[in-house]
Amino acid sequence: MTSTSSTTTFDDRRPISMSFRHSQSGRPSSPHTPQHHLRSNNSSFASTSSASTSFRGEEDAIIFEFGSRWLRAGFEGESTPMCVVGCGPEESRRVGDYRGWLKSNNETDISHSRLVKAEEWTGAYELWNMNLRDLDLALVDDKIERMFRETYNKYLLTDAGTSRLVLVLPSIMPHPLLSSLLSTLFSRWRFPSITLLTSAPMAVTAAGLRSALVVDIGWAETIISGVYEYREMTVRRSTRAMKSLLQETGRLLTRLSNGSEASQSADEISVKFELCEEVASRFLWCRSKAVPQGSTGISEQQPAESHEDEVKTTDQPAVSLAEETVSLPCPSGSGTTYIDIPFSKLAEPVDKVLFAEGLAECELDDEEKPLPLLVYNTLLSLPPDVRGTCMSRIVFIGGGSNIPGIRRRILRDVASLVEKYGWSPVRGKVIEQQRQKLQSLRLSQPQPLPVTKQGDTDDSPDSGTEKSTSEPQADDEEVDPVEQKIRRNNKDKDAKPPVQGVLREVESLGPWAGASLLTSLKIRGLVEIEREKYLQHGLAGATRDWEVHGHAPDRRSGLRTGGDRSSWTLAGWG
Amino acid sequence: MSRPFPYAFISCPCANTPVPDPAKKRRSRDSPQKSNPDKPKKPLLLPDDDEDEQTFDPRSPRANFSLYPPEQLLYCEDCHQIKCPRCITEEIVCWYCPNCLFETPSSMVRSEGNRCARNCFNCPICTAPLAVNTLENVVTGGTSQQGPWVLSCGYCMWSTLDIGIKFDKPTNIRTQLSKMTDATPSRSRQMSRTFGDLKSPLSTYSSIDEAFLPPGESKPDDPLDQPSAPLNPDARFNALKNFYKNQISATSSSPTDPLGMDFGAGFSSPGALNRIMSLYTSSSRLSSLYGGANKKPKTKPPVMREALTPGEGLKVPSSDAEDALIHRMASPDCGWDGLASLEQRAFQSPDARFVDDLLPLPVLLRTKRSKRCKSCKHILVKPELKPQSTRFRIRLIALSYIPLPTLRPLNPGPQPAVTVPPTPTVPGSTTNPNLDALSPLRPIQLLLTLKNHMFDPVRVTLATPSVTPGRVASKVTILCPQFDIGANSDVWDEALQGASATNTNTTTNTATPATATTSTSDPRGSRSGGLGVYEKVAEAGKVWDKGRNWTTVVLEVVPGTLPGGIKRNPKKYPANELEDTTKTNNNNDDDEENSNSDSDSDSSVALDWSGQTSDPNQQLQPDEDVLEIPVFVHMEWDSDNQIDQEQGVGRGSSSDTVKRELAYWMVLGVGRILREVV
Repeated sequence: MTSTSSTTTFDDRRPISMSFRHSQSGRPSSPHTPQHHLRSNNSSFASTSSASTSFRGEEDAIIFEFGSRWLRAGFEGESTPMCVVGCGPEESRRVGDYRGWLKSNNETDISHSRLVKAEEWTGAYELWNMNLRDLDLALVDDKIERMFRETYNKYLLTDAGTSRLVLVLPSIMPHPLLSSLLSTLFSRWRFPSITLLTSAPMAVTAAGLRSALVVDIGWAETIISGVYEYREMTVRRSTRAMKSLLQETGRLLTRLSNGSEASQSADEISVKFELCEEVASRFLWCRSKAVPQGSTGISEQQPAESHEDEVKTTDQPAVSLAEETVSLPCPSGSGTTYIDIPFSKLAEPVDKVLFAEGLAECELDDEEKPLPLLVYNTLLSLPPDVRGTCMSRIVFIGGGSNIPGIRRRILRDVASLVEKYGWSPVRGKVIEQQRQKLQSLRLSQPQPLPVTKQGDTDDSPDSGTEKSTSEPQADDEEVDPVEQKIRRNNKDKDAKPPVQGVLREVESLGPWAGASLLTSLKIRGLVEIEREKYLQHGLAGATRDWEVHGHAPDRRSGLRTGGDRSSWTLAGWG
Repeated sequence: MSRPFPYAFISCPCANTPVPDPAKKRRSRDSPQKSNPDKPKKPLLLPDDDEDEQTFDPRSPRANFSLYPPEQLLYCEDCHQIKCPRCITEEIVCWYCPNCLFETPSSMVRSEGNRCARNCFNCPICTAPLAVNTLENVVTGGTSQQGPWVLSCGYCMWSTLDIGIKFDKPTNIRTQLSKMTDATPSRSRQMSRTFGDLKSPLSTYSSIDEAFLPPGESKPDDPLDQPSAPLNPDARFNALKNFYKNQISATSSSPTDPLGMDFGAGFSSPGALNRIMSLYTSSSRLSSLYGGANKKPKTKPPVMREALTPGEGLKVPSSDAEDALIHRMASPDCGWDGLASLEQRAFQSPDARFVDDLLPLPVLLRTKRSKRCKSCKHILVKPELKPQSTRFRIRLIALSYIPLPTLRPLNPGPQPAVTVPPTPTVPGSTTNPNLDALSPLRPIQLLLTLKNHMFDPVRVTLATPSVTPGRVASKVTILCPQFDIGANSDVWDEALQGASATNTNTTTNTATPATATTSTSDPRGSRSGGLGVYEKVAEAGKVWDKGRNWTTVVLEVVPGTLPGGIKRNPKKYPANELEDTTKTNNNNDDDEENSNSDSDSDSSVALDWSGQTSDPNQQLQPDEDVLEIPVFVHMEWDSDNQIDQEQGVGRGSSSDTVKRELAYWMVLGVGRILREVV
């Protein structure tokens, strides 16, 4: 299952700053900036003095981020894409087919009772499926062409093909798909060149970091990539992602609409996809997981470090949350009727799909690990230095990261996994026994945890690090003389030690914004495909061997030397 | 389906030419092992040369992208081809706001975010246009004092008061709004940005209007100890951009470093990420995180660090933020309607989750575009520059070149001799058949009229598959597939020739004297085609009716039964019905030929026609009951030479004419088939 896609169900909406608004009681309910106001100001026309204006005299590049469901498009140097375009059945209607606009009643009557297989139910809304066996590439071409044309005509309002194009793509793309995408773009419009960028490092860039663990809860897959110094070190995938979450939500709604007696065949969904997606984007949430009784160690350790109040506030309302009910539009009705369902029920799909609740770990296949375990495994597979850096820079992107509560839940679960196993991949009863034997030999010393685990994820980073370094703790960090020396030598500025070894989340503006940032800084990517070269040979023209063409590791710059434009490469996609 | 029945769509021929994949050429030259294992199968099934021969399937998912209503197509006079939006290129002529019809100069479009910079706003709830209204209207003395202003929606009664926004004056709403909502106007920051103050990104904030600043940010002196208020995404983006610029300028230009340009810039610039993505780290680079641990500490390259403070764009979310969100979602005063829908959030800030967060949206600008043929760059459409004008300087629409197809049912049975439009009385007896409910297996006759708009007579050949593709197999017969259409002429000419032209009609209509008499007596009858044709019987090989520049032929259609309809003669249905629809699209054309030969074999065993099946693949797919007939149109005409045309009137001189032909697929939507056999 390496070939599947990453992207989002509902786009990168960050739920966070909502509550910032609440905390800022001083500001009188000032709403947030809509993107276009600021965007208007920081475009290159307004700020001629800034360095963002192009030094090559060319127009601003246009950035497209492709996911398997949405296409984001906008200009470089802007913080949010100009538009997000989907490709559902409504978008693939014939020209002049305005059925989507007239919501007639009889149509809903016909369609609502139909049972659809879950796979088809979601399949109609995908731009592509990374499983190319059933994919009609020509249809994908058609869809891409129409999406691009309409994006240019409706939202970008600029002539297509005149400026450079930057595509943000998942780091694994099947070659036929990539080839068909590029061929469509090059043959339909006259783009001078197309630059490809990978989404995970872009998200890291947009977080202001150089290394991070990117958790992309996308449409078909959750992709977790450890990025270190802008390079993808490891990538782990899981099929527990938004597609299956929406399918599960669809089943939930189907059960609700059919009443309690419904013992439907499990895989079929009768509710409308749109309604289900609305419900999912509005109301799905994630429990912060009531701490299990067995491992009270966590619950004691966490409040011990400035967490007391926070845990109380989360646990106590969790009880009251369970009693709340919300009313949803009735899935079987015409839209005017509502049904009440308990709010806690809306957390169930998330629990079941993304966290594999109720399933033992041994029952799970390699491709369907729950997200916390996947994060843990990814971190485990990283070298210790990198792991320490990445675990305190966890970046959530993708549509699933907008589910309220999911980030905190993942971080907590990972923390408890670390608590339980340490950083050792070895499991088993015998190992456990041996460990206990060793422990009993070790006199009174408590079992040292390989990694200091701290809960102060909510503090600001600087105070967090200061605590971690200054506070004398029971299991203190190992003192590394080499590192101390480095720090001493590195006497410039206020050089603070980088935050390490603490589970911490850093928010990113998303891959699109990262690409926009990079492009506006006039940094060119490695994969830059020029029109003429592509049209000659297609993807096959890409250079595969690195040694010959100056990308050998020892050159280490990775910079394209000026004259070396005769060959191009697909880099990671090659 | 999409339009009221009957309708006609035309498929642009460009859909048949696949996107050229440059790699394919190469691949075939190369060793075959490299090619995708899936790839070689397809050419076997669908050889590229035969593609024109295939039956167009209006139900294939790809057909939706090539079918257009006839009035939306263009025609290139140089290529002599139909041009759809896919085979043209567009150039923007002007930008304007569809609401106030003001033109925006091209230099301002981007800076205004492609949206109207004046007072045009759309409601964030229901997208209706917002109106500027005053709250109070106090007349004091001679001058009327008008109070604060709000934007309000006339449709859903939303107003900016709901989000606590009032405006001081009724003009320039957009600038007022952006002042109110931007905590940190980026314009002032960008204007005041110099290289000097790049060192501390927060110091630039001092230039902003303090009134809009949260207290945390107004004191940039101590940014590290006092974490500033969280930036909104735009401000964060700008902070990050400043930070990166700062870092790049700080790290890339160190003259003492011999490796400076290559080494330092190489891996300190974020652009290196892709380049070095696949390379292994060397030990020296690993240490760079800690500030560089080279063996020669003097030449240690400056390293770009990561953002450390919120002012630099770092954002570490607080953990209780999500809690508050969940509680607000669950609270009874929020509910379904308190949360913004996906559609409402589409153009709002990424943080907007509740209805209260939505802001009025300035109206998106629109463009007038001139269109060129993609292959020969010939201008096809050129609108007038002014936004208010709806006229075109050049407009080559396809309908003036290809015959306009119209379809209507032929009334069965005799009609009362009165020419008053028949009142809808008894269904099923004498009135038009209800096209939204065609009964399966009952033949209906349709009149297909092709109307020529060219000034040359056209010879048309129609072809249609005898059985429509798809699971619902309807039989189609065109009674007269080959016919001529007369040339178009000026309306004035027509009026003059009125009586004489009808005489020519009588030659074709001799079979039905009744029609001939009506048409000669009433010249309009020839145009409206058959007010008095009720007694005529459709005959094979004969044109139904013919006018000056139009010809009508009869189509006989036997609608097929739907899966799930009443079981009747299951052996009648060809083998390709067994495929589910997705596969049918690929295989249809292959099965088409043998479908007739297979028809008497017992092929429908697996298909449950009773409608009781639970397998959704065998149930009726949406729109599968729509009866659509693909018709291949091939037209030939003698046209004047281009050179001669400039000279003018030399029409009809046979020596100068060039033979032209045009072929395309057309889809006729007849109606919806009923489920039950009546």
